Amino acid sequence: MTPTGVGAAVPSRVRVRRGLSRPRGGSRKYDAAPRPFGGAGWHPWLYLAPALVILGGLLLYPIYQLGLISVFRYTQAQVSGGEPTAFVGVDNYADVFGDEQFWSVLLATVLFAAACVVSTLAVGCALAVLLTRVRALPRLVLMLAALGAWATPAVTGSTVWLFLFDPDFGPVNRVLGLGDHSWTYGRYSAFLLVLLEVVWCSFPFVMVTVYAGIRAVPSEVLEAAALDGASPWRVWRSVLAPMLRPVLTVVTIQSVIWDFKVFTQIYVMTGGGGIAGQNLVLNVYAYQQAFASSQYGLGAAIGVVTLLVLLAVTLVYLRLLRRQGEEL
Amino acid sequence: MTVVNLVRGFVRRPGRTAAEAAALVIAVVVAFPLYWMVLGAFRPAGEIESGRPRPWTLAPSLDSFRRVFGQQEFGRYFVNSLVVAGSVVVVSGLVAFLAATAVTRFRFRFRTTLLIMFLVAQMVPVEALAIPLFFQLRNLGLLNTLGSLILPHIAFSLPFAIWMLRGFVKGVPEALEEAAYIDGASRVRFLWQILFPLVLPGLVATSVFSFISAWNDFLFAKSFIISDTSQSTLPMALLVFFKPDDPDWGGVMAASTVMTVPVLVFFVLVQRRLVSGLAGAVKE
Amino acid sequence: MKLPVPAFLVAALFLAACAPQTSTNSASDKDDRHGTLRVWLFQEVGNEPKQKVVDSVVAGFEKAHQGTRVDVEYIPVDTRAQRVKAAFNDPGSAPDVMEYGNTDTAGYVHDGGLLDVTREFGAWPAAKDTDPTAKQSVTVAGKVYGAPFYVGVRALYYRTDVFRELGLKPPATLAEVASTARRIRAARPDLYGLVVGGAYTYGAMPFIWADGGELATAVGGSYTSAIDSAAARKGIKQYTSLFGDDNCPAAKCAGFGGNDTVTAFAAGKAGMAIGGDFSHAAVEAGAVKGKYAVVPLPGVTAGSIAPAFAGGNNIGVLKSTTHRTLAVRLMEELTSKKTQASMFDAMGFLPTFTDVREQVAAKEPFVKPFVATLAAGARFVPASAGWSAIDSSLVLPTMFQEVISGKKDVAGASEEAAKKMDSAFGAAG
Repeated sequence: MTPTGVGAAVPSRVRVRRGLSRPRGGSRKYDAAPRPFGGAGWHPWLYLAPALVILGGLLLYPIYQLGLISVFRYTQAQVSGGEPTAFVGVDNYADVFGDEQFWSVLLATVLFAAACVVSTLAVGCALAVLLTRVRALPRLVLMLAALGAWATPAVTGSTVWLFLFDPDFGPVNRVLGLGDHSWTYGRYSAFLLVLLEVVWCSFPFVMVTVYAGIRAVPSEVLEAAALDGASPWRVWRSVLAPMLRPVLTVVTIQSVIWDFKVFTQIYVMTGGGGIAGQNLVLNVYAYQQAFASSQYGLGAAIGVVTLLVLLAVTLVYLRLLRRQGEEL
Repeated sequence: MTVVNLVRGFVRRPGRTAAEAAALVIAVVVAFPLYWMVLGAFRPAGEIESGRPRPWTLAPSLDSFRRVFGQQEFGRYFVNSLVVAGSVVVVSGLVAFLAATAVTRFRFRFRTTLLIMFLVAQMVPVEALAIPLFFQLRNLGLLNTLGSLILPHIAFSLPFAIWMLRGFVKGVPEALEEAAYIDGASRVRFLWQILFPLVLPGLVATSVFSFISAWNDFLFAKSFIISDTSQSTLPMALLVFFKPDDPDWGGVMAASTVMTVPVLVFFVLVQRRLVSGLAGAVKE
Repeated sequence: MKLPVPAFLVAALFLAACAPQTSTNSASDKDDRHGTLRVWLFQEVGNEPKQKVVDSVVAGFEKAHQGTRVDVEYIPVDTRAQRVKAAFNDPGSAPDVMEYGNTDTAGYVHDGGLLDVTREFGAWPAAKDTDPTAKQSVTVAGKVYGAPFYVGVRALYYRTDVFRELGLKPPATLAEVASTARRIRAARPDLYGLVVGGAYTYGAMPFIWADGGELATAVGGSYTSAIDSAAARKGIKQYTSLFGDDNCPAAKCAGFGGNDTVTAFAAGKAGMAIGGDFSHAAVEAGAVKGKYAVVPLPGVTAGSIAPAFAGGNNIGVLKSTTHRTLAVRLMEELTSKKTQASMFDAMGFLPTFTDVREQVAAKEPFVKPFVATLAAGARFVPASAGWSAIDSSLVLPTMFQEVISGKKDVAGASEEAAKKMDSAFGAAG
């Protein structure tokens, strides 16, 4: 087996030994407690190098540019050189914060994203546990169905769900005997419909990941628990959840990030934000106010605000985890 | 597992039949919108709009698929999509595996900062990054090439992949690592021959994710492939059917069906890895 | 735990002296008489007939101009926004000639992407027959930025079988449209009388214009919203009063866009609908094939026609072209009378020349009501870059939906909309 990376790693091994005998200042603190793999001054950076090069060039630098753009008057006319760029300080931010609609959209986004995250995680985890309790064939069937839902392009998934719940053409109202009840007219029923679609297309990710995590738990542990006659809930609560915490952390954070930025589902299913904008969420709002008409300065400001809100949520979550004794 | 074990398992778990029934029912519910999509692709023209939502069609038609496959350079788009998604899966998987090992198995300065940075990168709306990325790719001379899709997709799937693999790398007991060294294994051997297979289920889950997100992407393809349609990807073939005044739903459903199939094939190919995972490996 | 991002922002503020990246897309001075011309046209769902017509135009052009090659690329309509922006940003990837939606004209001009062809257009013999509304759609602040390629316009579709059954006549005034719609709904509760949509801006505009209202008025080079004027309010009221259980229930129709209304009509769920000439195929494929007819949407007085919105596409030359003369000539060839006539035969696109339009109407009776609507004077949206912001932030649909759902009255909603429109016009300069 000669995977890529071997060539790079071999010489480093030699140098790392040298590094260990003469630790550099920065890493001394950690070297005091040597671990089998860890503690080498710049060794981790070698492993990180490819990732850092790619991320630095294609994510961090553009994000830096984004911050820059947010303090300029920067529309398509500036981008394509039709007009000079002009520094406007915090004007773009003032525009964003000065729009009262922004605040109601922000609140709706937070609540809607929270509902989506909780539902997705609950469904995903429950089905992951279910997968471990069934034989190969039903497992494959459920996995394939879930994968299909995951793989469906968001715009198609949203369209199909809309067809299913259409008051005139959809089968759901027929089956439920709802006549021509419209799901998208009321604010909450429209949000509910979108939530169902979001959960449908994002629970598979949680399910597959958590299932992979459960597979990584030594089977003896699970068998022992099963032999003790523990209920599924009990097994989850006291055996699986603690062992899966790193995976669950990631899944939660990712779901928060994605659901907060939901766009296509709202855009397609509520016709761009619902009756009189009642179903607007932050990303759709940003699109309509800024990106669709190429006001990148304003859009960048909304982007920065989005980033800060998400960062705050994530940091609070990580801090809570840490308080529970889980470290990064 | 011996036969005795199997029997015992069955007796001890009478709930399994119920669980399997539940799994199948849920699978049907989850698959129903997919069925509706495929059905929409086979419905003859006008039936979607006919106002009679029958869960079958009496006159299945291949017309919608003909419109999809009859598009200019459809095969070319398909191959391009495969190249993009394949490169993204392989490169981001390997790079993320190394990086995840670094942040899990080492303690060093800025480790936490770095981890947060990885997350931050995903918090910005992609729309907002399209313009800075555009200039960056132009400076690299990559516009209008598949590279302009592959690189950003790697960059966007890396942070997630690193975070996710981190959880899996962490799950590998340190005792195993010590044992490997006592047995005389080198770092490289441990990394690739012991650690790598152990985190494979996680890597598979990650690869499914990055495959789907690269495969389904519209935005980058719309923004960075400007003048050379021979470098376009499959979703472009889907977008043709979205006409503002008169969308062709049959075409949309057929194109989506065509797009979903390769993902399912990819998944069937990798899913055995997902199932035969760490559990067996640790026991040996 | 460190916060890297605020640090980034602080750094960004300090580094504000270095501006974000821009491109230098100045007009090219070069005017090569040889080489390759790149053309972007929209890809239609059934694209081959369009391609055939274009191919023959291109073949003739290449023959007439030795040493010139024309490279035509068909781009999905849905990707046009990103593609065109990218073309403005990277002249190296930009085409020389492109097709664009006529509501995008002012925005593209503002972005500095389109070439001013006023002189050439004026000298073009065919230009004198161009329909004034179509010409307005390539004109910004008195200058011409392209040639009209085809127009799309809406008229009133109605169910002949339902009308016969109920003994109804096609309505002759806008007021009659409403009363006829209610009679249909009363007699046939399974049908919408006239299917309307809260997000169907282009379907609502004729009501505003027919009552003498305007979307905005031009003062000097800039626009001021007129959506809250008394006449416009009358039109808004007339349109929104069509939403209700006696015609088109708000719960369903408030969210409809133009396409939803056509789909409902095609499925046989409506007595009448406001649809375009481009909706013909969709309706023909539906359940009402052979059971419908089209008349112009009537105006306020009997015999008049409500002004319709003149949609459609233009063909323009990009500022960054290095083949100015050739590119303009190709634009003229692609939009010539002959090309437009064959384009109608191939794709059903309505010509922009009044004389050509009359010829095709004689051949194809279906287009007669649409041609009549155009002849009666169609209207266009304000030629300001602000319009794209107004359009994308759904100012008008929001206004209609606020009234329909009872969240606001006509005065309040239109005042709010006018404010948003004015700020968009102001921002566009």
